[in-house]
Amino acid sequence: MELETIRSYDWGIMAPELIILGAATILSLADLLMPKKASRRYLAIFAFLGVACALVALFMQLDNGVISILADTYRFDSFSKAFKLLFLIGTGLILLLAFDDRKGERDEYRGEFYYLLLTALLGAMMMASSADMITLFVGLELLSLSSYIMAGLRKRDRQSNEAAFKYVVNGGISTAITLFGMSYIFGLTGETNLYAIQNALGDPTILQNQFLLVFAFLITFVGLSFKIATVPFQMWAPDVYHGAPIPVTAFLSVVSKAAGFVIMIRFLLVTFIAAPGVAEKPLLQEVQPYLAILAGASMIIGNLIALRQRNIKRMFAYSSIAQAGYILVPFAVISGLMFEAVWFYLLAYLFMNIGVFAIIQLVTAKSGSTDISSFAGLYRRSPWIAVCMTIFVLSLAGFPATAGFIGKFGIFMSALSTGAHYWLAGIMIATTVVSYFYYFNVIGQMFFRSEEEAGKVSIPGGVLTVTAVCVISTLVLGILPHTALEFFYNQFDLSQFFTPTK
Amino acid sequence: MTGEMIAFFILALVAICGGVFMIHSENVVHMVVSLIFTFLSIAGIYILLSAEFVAVVQVLIYSGAITIIMLFGIMLTKHDPKSEKRIAKSRILAVGTGVVAFFIIMFLAINKLSFKQQDVELYVHNVKKIGIELYSKYVIPFELTSILLLVALIGAVVLAKKDESEEMNEHE
Repeated sequence: MELETIRSYDWGIMAPELIILGAATILSLADLLMPKKASRRYLAIFAFLGVACALVALFMQLDNGVISILADTYRFDSFSKAFKLLFLIGTGLILLLAFDDRKGERDEYRGEFYYLLLTALLGAMMMASSADMITLFVGLELLSLSSYIMAGLRKRDRQSNEAAFKYVVNGGISTAITLFGMSYIFGLTGETNLYAIQNALGDPTILQNQFLLVFAFLITFVGLSFKIATVPFQMWAPDVYHGAPIPVTAFLSVVSKAAGFVIMIRFLLVTFIAAPGVAEKPLLQEVQPYLAILAGASMIIGNLIALRQRNIKRMFAYSSIAQAGYILVPFAVISGLMFEAVWFYLLAYLFMNIGVFAIIQLVTAKSGSTDISSFAGLYRRSPWIAVCMTIFVLSLAGFPATAGFIGKFGIFMSALSTGAHYWLAGIMIATTVVSYFYYFNVIGQMFFRSEEEAGKVSIPGGVLTVTAVCVISTLVLGILPHTALEFFYNQFDLSQFFTPTK
Repeated sequence: MTGEMIAFFILALVAICGGVFMIHSENVVHMVVSLIFTFLSIAGIYILLSAEFVAVVQVLIYSGAITIIMLFGIMLTKHDPKSEKRIAKSRILAVGTGVVAFFIIMFLAINKLSFKQQDVELYVHNVKKIGIELYSKYVIPFELTSILLLVALIGAVVLAKKDESEEMNEHE
């Protein structure tokens, strides 16, 4: 390849990624050169500015069409911009949370935390904006590796150690499974570009291996389900969410999970969209029952086990397994409404879940325990915080006038629109009703229990901003959902997703 | 049966045996040694496929670097020579059935394998071609890998570094 060809690409389109990379590099150098005793807390502001700049850069690019660099190893299209937006907003909010996280008391490893968060974000963004198996995989690993380290940064905390260890071992197994599945796809087609694979799967000689193809699809799916924490790879979530510092938990449950959905949708849908299955039906239709069973199992297991939890972090870990099960529904039934349903639910989930973790961080830091009883009598101590928490929890439960309701409604409609998936919609309703029990348990603690400890919970600036943004977004998306949906319709063009760049 | 077939069977047998020994061995050092056998025989299979570059990389990275890292890990950590408690029979049975079922499915699928026209001259200028692809077409994932390695390095330093407070405790 000539230098001219390489120069001819529009490298400016990588600006958001390059800004994040630059911010991470500068932060790591600053952390190295700063005096040992100096507080690293304010590095969070710099990291936040980096994320904000990347967001601005992304907004300036919104009107571009499909831009591909070096055979789609970097690809800017409507899919990537829609989801990069989610990652950037989520990470920005989590940085503000981390700014006020004082549980560690000592400041050590704070600097590392900030730039590892940025590299994790970079991995997620690359996963959204690539249509090449190799880049997707390297992005996935960058995200995973950064998260493993972040989970274990509190070295003297036994739970944090346990969390990091379990995360690393489970993550290693899932990576091996993903790679095994990908190796079959590559072996059969000889291509790494997703659109080239899509094309090659139309070849009649390759098509004689349909059986192997279905298997490769399922293996890859199972491997990738680790990132979104659904059945069969859900059991790491409670322990890791419980042990990791709260900003990390929020990151894992929101940004990392969204990135998992992104790679799943991009990789599996683009490659297999035209592939025929073993019988007459197309492959994607043939595997639907299996995906639907996995989605249903995630909803049932997540919600049922959450009922028994007394620890607030574990409860929301199981709740996040169930939520991932809901988001898997539109993917399992593959309807035309899939993209908007998944995108909107992930957006809503981002705000409500980060909001929940912001308040958990406040309350548990005050009481020093993560038991649900630390929420007892919160309404009498700090009414505003209790009201905000109620809004988030109601939204997670899917009550009208909140973002969660609109999101769930969209998923429900997509499950019904394809027909023959009534039982999946039924499971969704039943498990949602079950989830009311534990969500209302939290509300009941806040409003109807007498307080065990006195004292107002004071709210520092960073968490206040996060909570305010999350409450407002949850309500606005719930009452005026078309603001977000219209933006999505204007920006998102389905045809860009499935057709290769000319 | 051609010579290639015989060589393949021997290498494959050694690779599988190495893996099985690794799982069954109770001594950590024995595990590492059996793993080396697996790595080396896989490198041999690569040579049979005339992928010399990958074979050399396999020997350098896996048989060399990774094995040495594991030995360092064994040296630097405390580990009980006693083996862990036994796993329940039912669990072994369940996992065993799963493995057998998986093998049968994959075996049936692979038996009917058909490929499109293969490139026959892939081995010509093998290393040069890989180099050109890596530094032109795949330069973005290549650079991303360097960030990945940096993250891994930072992580290793952070997690392995001795804290000042710990040091002070030891001096007391």
